[in-house]
Amino acid sequence: MIYSELLRESWRAMRVNRMRTILTMLGMVIGVGAVIAMLAIGNGARQSVNAIISSMGSNMLIVISGARTSGGLRFATGSTPTLHLSDADAIRELPGVAAVAPGSPGTAQIVYGANNWSTMVLGTNPAYLRIRDWQLKSGAGFSGSDMRSAARVAILGQTVANNLFGSINPVGQTIRISNSPYQVIGLLTPKGQSFGGQDQDDIVLVPVTTAQRKLFGAQFADTVRYIMVQTDGPELLSPVQEEMDALLRQRHHITGSQDPDFDIRNLTELANAAASTTRIMSLLLGLIASISLVVGGIGIMNIMLVSVTERTREVGLRMAVGAEPADILGQFLTEAVLVSTLGCLAGLLLGMLCVAMVNQLFHMHGVITFASVLIAITVSVAVGTFFGLYPARKASLLQPIEALRHE
Amino acid sequence: MDVPLIHTVHMGKRYQLLSGDLHALTDVNVNVQEGEFIAVMGPSGSGKSTFMNLLGCLDVPSEGDYYLSGRVVKSMTLKERAHLRNALIGFVFQGYNLLPRLNCVENVALPLVYAGIPTRERREQAREKLVDVGLERYTEFLPPQLSGGQQQRVAIARALVNNASLLLADEPTGNLDSRTSDEIIAIFERLNRERRLTIVLVTHEPDVARHARRLIRFHDGCVVEDGPVSPSPPLRQALP
Repeated sequence: MIYSELLRESWRAMRVNRMRTILTMLGMVIGVGAVIAMLAIGNGARQSVNAIISSMGSNMLIVISGARTSGGLRFATGSTPTLHLSDADAIRELPGVAAVAPGSPGTAQIVYGANNWSTMVLGTNPAYLRIRDWQLKSGAGFSGSDMRSAARVAILGQTVANNLFGSINPVGQTIRISNSPYQVIGLLTPKGQSFGGQDQDDIVLVPVTTAQRKLFGAQFADTVRYIMVQTDGPELLSPVQEEMDALLRQRHHITGSQDPDFDIRNLTELANAAASTTRIMSLLLGLIASISLVVGGIGIMNIMLVSVTERTREVGLRMAVGAEPADILGQFLTEAVLVSTLGCLAGLLLGMLCVAMVNQLFHMHGVITFASVLIAITVSVAVGTFFGLYPARKASLLQPIEALRHE
Repeated sequence: MDVPLIHTVHMGKRYQLLSGDLHALTDVNVNVQEGEFIAVMGPSGSGKSTFMNLLGCLDVPSEGDYYLSGRVVKSMTLKERAHLRNALIGFVFQGYNLLPRLNCVENVALPLVYAGIPTRERREQAREKLVDVGLERYTEFLPPQLSGGQQQRVAIARALVNNASLLLADEPTGNLDSRTSDEIIAIFERLNRERRLTIVLVTHEPDVARHARRLIRFHDGCVVEDGPVSPSPPLRQALP
């Protein structure tokens, strides 16, 4: 039997029971729509997590000043800076370390003209931008002499610049941080929200030496709150972490059983854990959606079985006038695949609609990939074939005499 | 002498039932030459239908042999028999068996679909056959829009469309009134006369059987009479 003939026959049979065909298709429409939407939404979630991770900086370890114990009192982690710039210098000498940036944060009031803004001021070094993979939008970074001389220079985050300068280019202007004048030498590119939802662009960078000696006073001279460390590759994170631990214990005179006064955190690991959580979640969503595809397939099988019974006489007649069992098999199989394929196409539209709606409502960036469309089409053709095969085979095995006698 | 179109040798059919074997047909030896017009009669359960199913290659004999055009049907596969039916045999049923959602041309063309003939040629040949049975004005009608007699004529056109050499009709006039059934029989007679089409026709009505030239009568699965139709009695004797 010619293939176009099969298609035409199936189309006609589907049109005869229009309502039934549409309802059968609906199972596939919902199944495919759900799969497409879930995959897209999962993708969108993963992309935003990935964006956050890459904005944090890659292959990064962070050493935080630990709890100081004073007269039996234990203070909170980071409450007292126990790390020194010399610790940072020592860490830089470790093998596998690509860059080290100290962090000495504080809060300060910034004034420019009539505007003022309270923000975090972070004392650090030129390596900070490299570790965080952060580019300058305009201006320049700190120079070696800025660091040595503890120059009063600052680099602004986008949020700070917006609040103080509006549309004016801040580079070259002078601002006042805690009443001292600082020259703005650079403006950072916007980075957006961090993992915890903080605005990463609400920041002012100054040389760590300036922060220590001039800005935050000499309360804890030469100390830093934390040290950021970038390794040469992700595989070096664990060995560097161990070496750093040993080095700092030695430098801080901490023996085996004592609690260290610092804390090393692997942020990349944390971020990867978050990413894999998202991945598992989108996988689960896809799996649940696929179940509805299978349910849709069972619906097709059900209706095809009814259809075979209803058309037993027709099958008998077709066999009498010369249809081989293979022709009958092909006819019913084509019908099942056609129903599932058309349902799949409608489901694609539904899925696209859903994704567009979710993107609009929840400001997500769900993207329908070509791969997910391909998967949906392949799966629905497979579902049509799989669930159509049993009814079609049943029809093809009918005995013409009995089929013709069927009422 | 030519190879007979139908040649059966001790042909029989036995069905296995739970209560034991059922001999639906026993020891049938029939030869049919091309161009014969045969009426098959007998009470119900006498084996007529089984005989027709075997002739139509819808079933195979369990005993003896059946040769159609010299070919042994018994050893054929399902597929081979389907091709044989498609090429050699046309069926006409009591209940017409037209597909209600296909129009007349498409119904008539159905056997050609399985012969792999392209759409346009199919429609042309189907239309010709509809002209043959006098339905040229109804080509695009759906079967439910036609009368019983018209539907049966569509079915005859379908049986002819593959230029079959054997037409098997199973009580073709069973659902029709006497005037319409006369028309149908007239078509059969004409086809037999003009095209030497071999016709085997099952009927209960002596009036219909009268038009055939040979009569085979079954009883309890056996052939009890096989000979020329007796000279016709006066037409439609008035009933008391």
